[in-house]
Amino acid sequence: MPTDTKRVRGPEVSQSPSLFLCKTAVKKSNDARVDGRQRGQVDVRSVFVRCGLISQAKGSAYIEAGNTKLICCVYGPRETERKDETDMKSGRLITDMRFAPFSCRERGSWIQGSDEKDLSLMLLESLRPGVCLQKYPRSQIEVNVMVLENDGAVLAHAVTCASMALADAGIEMYDLVLGCSIRQEGATYLIDPTFLEENGCNLTSGSRENLGSLTVAFLPSLNQISGLQSDGEMGEDTLTGGVRTCIEGCFKLYPVIQQALSKAVRRKAPPSES
Amino acid sequence: MATVQVSEAEKVYILHGVRDDLRVDGRGCEDYRHMEIETEMVSNTDGSAKVTLGHTDVLVGVKAEMGKPRPMVPDEGYLEFFVDCSANATPEFEGRGGDELGMELSNTLYKVFNNRYSVDLKSLCISPGEHCWVLYVDVLLLQCDGNLFDAISVAIKAALFNTKIPKVHISEDEEGGKEIELSDDPYDCMRLNVENVPCIVTLCKVGHRHVVDATLQEKACSVASLIISVTHKGTVTCVRKVGGGSLDPESIFEMTETGKRVGKALHAPLMELLQEEESLGKKRQKVGFLG
Repeated sequence: MPTDTKRVRGPEVSQSPSLFLCKTAVKKSNDARVDGRQRGQVDVRSVFVRCGLISQAKGSAYIEAGNTKLICCVYGPRETERKDETDMKSGRLITDMRFAPFSCRERGSWIQGSDEKDLSLMLLESLRPGVCLQKYPRSQIEVNVMVLENDGAVLAHAVTCASMALADAGIEMYDLVLGCSIRQEGATYLIDPTFLEENGCNLTSGSRENLGSLTVAFLPSLNQISGLQSDGEMGEDTLTGGVRTCIEGCFKLYPVIQQALSKAVRRKAPPSES
Repeated sequence: MATVQVSEAEKVYILHGVRDDLRVDGRGCEDYRHMEIETEMVSNTDGSAKVTLGHTDVLVGVKAEMGKPRPMVPDEGYLEFFVDCSANATPEFEGRGGDELGMELSNTLYKVFNNRYSVDLKSLCISPGEHCWVLYVDVLLLQCDGNLFDAISVAIKAALFNTKIPKVHISEDEEGGKEIELSDDPYDCMRLNVENVPCIVTLCKVGHRHVVDATLQEKACSVASLIISVTHKGTVTCVRKVGGGSLDPESIFEMTETGKRVGKALHAPLMELLQEEESLGKKRQKVGFLG
């Protein structure tokens, strides 16, 4: 295992200073969230998206939502390395999601942890239904997502970014796959939570029920859910309500992503002869 | 997961059957296969259980060790899960083949238990900030015949019920150093309250309906499944969609409802059975691995 011999990390018993920060319970007036959005309403962060950043990749996309920044590139279709019988009929989609070590509060390592592998698997399951893999037999399409800054709702934005990159690469798809994330707290929900909202909530007024997060990947024009993942403890109706809210959030994002893609296509198109 | 090749004709047969609520082995869409549970199989562990669901065989061992509590939560112990897909289960798992599946299973288990009410972590604390009990839950897949999540969750619940954690006593000596003493009586142990431990229900979408406890053939006919973990009160602790297909939102809502119903109904008979087995004490007939 490669170890970092050049940096002095301090003695073994040292702990990160963030553990000692006094937990000034972020006193929220019951309506406003820290960044001014509302609770209990479908108020997603505004996104900035741009395609075609990386010249070497077949397709690429960059997304920025609040402080969450992700970049995705797509390579392919390429010949598969492993020859399986299933590859004769349809292509294979390979996803890889990584966090840059400086992306979270605590420095992460370059070696992929089990969290990242889990997220890569969920990204794969969310994207598979959207891509027409049967048009690419005996090939593989690689999708690599890199999280540059993690400020919450990373999986949801990764799904959106990856499907934009796939579209930018010219891979045939049934529909764009959009992701949306929600954090349920007692009776209200926080859509598109920031990192602090996702994690700092053990300190809330002890609501026994309904404390959890939910991420949904959705194909808007086909009205199909391709990915669903939830955590924490929720009642069944809260879960159902949360899924509907996420679907609404995805619908809000759809026009923005479509516009960005059409701009990218126009930029790439050869100048028209006058 | 071990896969089975199913021909088109077989797929059509299974689909038509499920449409009429009749599966290949005669079950209804919401029926489980025959399940056998036995606890206290392995004497070196603090708690163990073996569950046989149809031909799926899962063995869980729980070992309690003393460790340092996590820095963010100094007054709680924690659980560590590890799932090992041994090559015994199917030849696909030879070498590193089973690692991917094992990791997917462990990660899902972490999510299922990632809430404050499943296991009372505060009872695992010995002295805040210094010592706590860490429960290492190790799952071994002996045979794989579909529906691993359900079998594993039932086995974990049974193993945690069976876990006996020795009672420790912290004493301070003259210099202020702490000493941990184990009580002399080997039967003086602490038991865990497993009332709130959730059970996982896997629902596979086959055609327009969904089935509980799918066999490998039924799984080959389905494009997507929903894994839902339900406590005895009906709260949902984890939902996950697996598989390469997509689901209609209405199907998801239906499947969640079914999953909640089936999951809720699973807990009461399970607890009854575990308590009955416990009450038999020495008179219990041990069946072991060859039964």
